Amino acid sequence: MKVIELDHLSKYYGKARGIIDVSFTVMEGEIFGFIGPNGAGKSTTIRTLLSLIYPSSGSARIFGQDCIKEGAAIRKEIGYLPSEVFYYDNMKVIDLLKYSASFYKNIDQKRIYELADMMDLDLKRKIEDLSYGNKKKVGIVQGLIHHPRLIILDEPTSGLDPLMQQKFFNLIIEENKNGASVLFSSHILSEVQKLCSRVAIIKEGRIMSIEDIKTLRSNNYKKFKIEMGEAVSNDYFNIEGVANLYADKNSFSFLFKGDINKMIDIIHSKKINNLIVEEPALEEIFMHYYEKEA
Amino acid sequence: MVFLIYAGMLKYSGFAGAGESVNELFNQFPSAVKSILGLGDLDISSILGFYAIFYLYFMVLAGLHAVMLGAEIISKEEHDKTADFLFVKPVLRSKIVSCKLTAALINIIVLNLTTLIASLIFVDIFNTGKSINDIIVQLILALFIIQLIFLAMGASIAAVSKNIKKATSLAAGILMITFIISVAIDLYQKIDFLIYVTPFKYFPAADIIMTRSYKTSTLIVSFILVSFFTFITYLFMKKRDIQI
Repeated sequence: MKVIELDHLSKYYGKARGIIDVSFTVMEGEIFGFIGPNGAGKSTTIRTLLSLIYPSSGSARIFGQDCIKEGAAIRKEIGYLPSEVFYYDNMKVIDLLKYSASFYKNIDQKRIYELADMMDLDLKRKIEDLSYGNKKKVGIVQGLIHHPRLIILDEPTSGLDPLMQQKFFNLIIEENKNGASVLFSSHILSEVQKLCSRVAIIKEGRIMSIEDIKTLRSNNYKKFKIEMGEAVSNDYFNIEGVANLYADKNSFSFLFKGDINKMIDIIHSKKINNLIVEEPALEEIFMHYYEKEA
Repeated sequence: MVFLIYAGMLKYSGFAGAGESVNELFNQFPSAVKSILGLGDLDISSILGFYAIFYLYFMVLAGLHAVMLGAEIISKEEHDKTADFLFVKPVLRSKIVSCKLTAALINIIVLNLTTLIASLIFVDIFNTGKSINDIIVQLILALFIIQLIFLAMGASIAAVSKNIKKATSLAAGILMITFIISVAIDLYQKIDFLIYVTPFKYFPAADIIMTRSYKTSTLIVSFILVSFFTFITYLFMKKRDIQI
């Protein structure tokens, strides 16, 4: 079943670009990554899904229902954690969480204490006294109290220390195992790489590509780092299949996809001091995307 | 508000002792000054005339309170960035607006009743003549209609304005403009066609005291304005892009 369907979704703020022609589909049970640099349109897309803002054209559907027309009904099943969290400063954490729970039906109050315990959150403190990381924890708990069928995370890890990030990821994975689908927006690839099965890559408001994490990784890109023993021109390694070529004096680094023997031949015909061949990080594959399209 | 009424009535006790000489003094004031003070042709040395001056301040204060409350309560979630919490909950925006307007309504009713009770008590303490309680009730009821108009106006300004941060000050600014217009009407009779533009002119104390009734035309205009502003608030909040 399709949980999220975006069909040629566009949003302009006056004449300024928000997102243009964004289309992708998230299937039930999937953890779907949404990757792009800051200002690419990730939050705009998510805010449209939550019917916080209205699209200029195109449509967004969640659980097969239109996000705008059925917004209130759809939101019963959504848990949302925004990138920046702001709550009512004068409330105590527990009061805020109970208030949040009051919007949903059939809430198990015990769940609040379970989640707070898991995230190490002090329920008795006032919101205004919390550090940013602790506010973020409040955000995590209020987003998961009602066992949402769809969890939407907009840059969720900022402000969390690595230990908390790990606990948070575990929590998300557990919810996912219990049947929740997840839309995970981030500009940090390594965290998306850990959790997601597929990713959409967005840049300057447009979807550049939608990829399987596995295929991305097994795309057979190899990363080469070479220190030459003799002078060669900066273009020396610029053959077909090479990307992200950097040359600094006699040091070269690049990604290569293609027949490895050709590359070996080129390397072999010159004297070299050092050679490293490794699996590229996803970041580098994406950088390649961005630069190619730019 | 309570303090204002008390202090006002305290002053009146001093005034009343001076009796006719006060009226003579005020009559020497140019009519422009009297207009701005909201005096008109009222007899300042009677407690009713004196109370009418304060009624002008009640209108400005309660109006300002209502218009800012209306703007604030609608714009607050976006202003404080809690909108991302509230508006993603499974509730219709219209319900959020209804709850907010109800809360604001209770708020202005409390202010109105406080003004009424304080007026009744303090006027009674210092009043040496005939009771004016029924007129006070009539005036404060008119005050409530003015509060309603400004509350709905403030809410609609916040719902319409693109820059939510400026909504409250914009609302207060518009209130001041309507007040200035009402003073201007007192000064230049020629522009009295503007009386429908400013709610401050809908229920002039002097008229209510003389005729003991409200003008039907202004009652109708008030009703239309409150309905219109409320409708605008719901309409624009429904269509609004929530940005933080």
